[in-house]
Amino acid sequence: MTQFIFLIIKAAIVFFFCVGLAAMLIWGERKYAGWMQSRLGPNYAGPMGVLQTFGDLAKLLRKEDVIPDTVDKPVFRAAPYLLWVPAALTMAVIPFGGMDAKIFGWRTDLVIANFDAGIVLFLAMGSLAVYGVVFAGWSSNSRWALIGALRSGAQMISYELSMGLSLVGVMILAGSMNLVQIVDYQSGAFWHWNFIPQLVGFVIFFIASIAELNRTPFDLPEAEQELVAGYMNEYTGMRWGIFMFSEYVNMIVMSAIMATLFFGGWRAPFESWNVIPGFLWLIAKMMGFIILYMWVRWSVPRYRYNQLMSLGWKILFPLALANLAVTALVVTVK
Amino acid sequence: MGLIDIIKKATFFEILQGMSVTGKYAASKKFTIEYPKEKSIPYPRFRGSQALLADPVTGELNCDACHLCETICPSQCITIESSETPDGKKSLDEFTIDLSRCVFCGFCEEVCPRAAIVMTANYELASYDKRDFILTKEWLIANAVHAHKELKGR
Repeated sequence: MTQFIFLIIKAAIVFFFCVGLAAMLIWGERKYAGWMQSRLGPNYAGPMGVLQTFGDLAKLLRKEDVIPDTVDKPVFRAAPYLLWVPAALTMAVIPFGGMDAKIFGWRTDLVIANFDAGIVLFLAMGSLAVYGVVFAGWSSNSRWALIGALRSGAQMISYELSMGLSLVGVMILAGSMNLVQIVDYQSGAFWHWNFIPQLVGFVIFFIASIAELNRTPFDLPEAEQELVAGYMNEYTGMRWGIFMFSEYVNMIVMSAIMATLFFGGWRAPFESWNVIPGFLWLIAKMMGFIILYMWVRWSVPRYRYNQLMSLGWKILFPLALANLAVTALVVTVK
Repeated sequence: MGLIDIIKKATFFEILQGMSVTGKYAASKKFTIEYPKEKSIPYPRFRGSQALLADPVTGELNCDACHLCETICPSQCITIESSETPDGKKSLDEFTIDLSRCVFCGFCEEVCPRAAIVMTANYELASYDKRDFILTKEWLIANAVHAHKELKGR
């Protein structure tokens, strides 16, 4: 019974952490983008404009929710949620600290689900996100949205392949798909972490994850100059806001996965630094990746569609296969 | 594609170069002036709206009502009405500038023999009402507070 209550508490904390962090990231990205462009970014609402997102939220909620007559209404309504709810479920398998940790006299695992197929869950839920985009584009009954959805479908399917393959190397090394065990495999100082033997896999995963997140340089599904807003073209008000929000939730999930699989999860870079609680290390690592995502987004221009496809199929996919073969060989020989 | 190109692509050399540029800009000082909170200081010869200067000691207007500015004004936005006082001097009755026609060329200031009409640093002239653009003599006298420092004392 205590464990059940703990489960609910942990789920609530992780959920609100994701939602709150996503809100802050919307502000953070605007601020960071402003700084990179020699601007100040939002600076009116609250100190340094931190309340900007909440102001935008109030604005979006008060706006008229236009649902065009020709759209497929149930699908149109469901699509925004399909984009981020499955992805956010992945947070359940991310360990935030040690197993059987002591909190105020009670003992609990600092993970919502200590679950053996964690990576498979992540890949499955990540694949569901493409349904959100495709449903949004298809149900909108608009040409821009449809083209955006088609592009997104093609892009996500081709990059998911390299992404999944780049993770197989980690699975082989750790001998498990359970994220808790993968973090345990990486215990010790930072030279025990997976990103050193799996550097190629990490780079492939990072590039593929940008494509999965539909962020620049791979934001073809919503390429403004060509498709206006791509698959979210017909959405207004808060429904559009959920699309915006889901991008950031997905970004949090991706960086959490990356930190866990390649950068030792909640473990400190040196053994002696483990006095700082694990979840802070995890959040610090996640923030590092999120800043890297933002940095890439505001530095690199968008790829053309054929460049995107040739990068995915001709470079990342063979590289991921080669990485997998080499990892398997090395592990077998050892 | 040569070997150097392959190495460059594999190490993301060019992307990292680009990111270093954006990173430098992100850390650099910003020159934004947050306008309603802080105001930009115009240069000493900035040509904002006109003002009529008065003698700082006696408080008398410098203007002799010579009509030179009215004559030279290329957009003919200055209207002066003057009359003769009993002791034979000219007195300035009305001095009106139609700001909606003014091109801020500064000819009126240059032609003025006594620095009576000057261009000021006042650039906040936006209004919702067209009638606000007809600057009266009183408005122009009050606007002297915005005059450039080097002209104020004359």
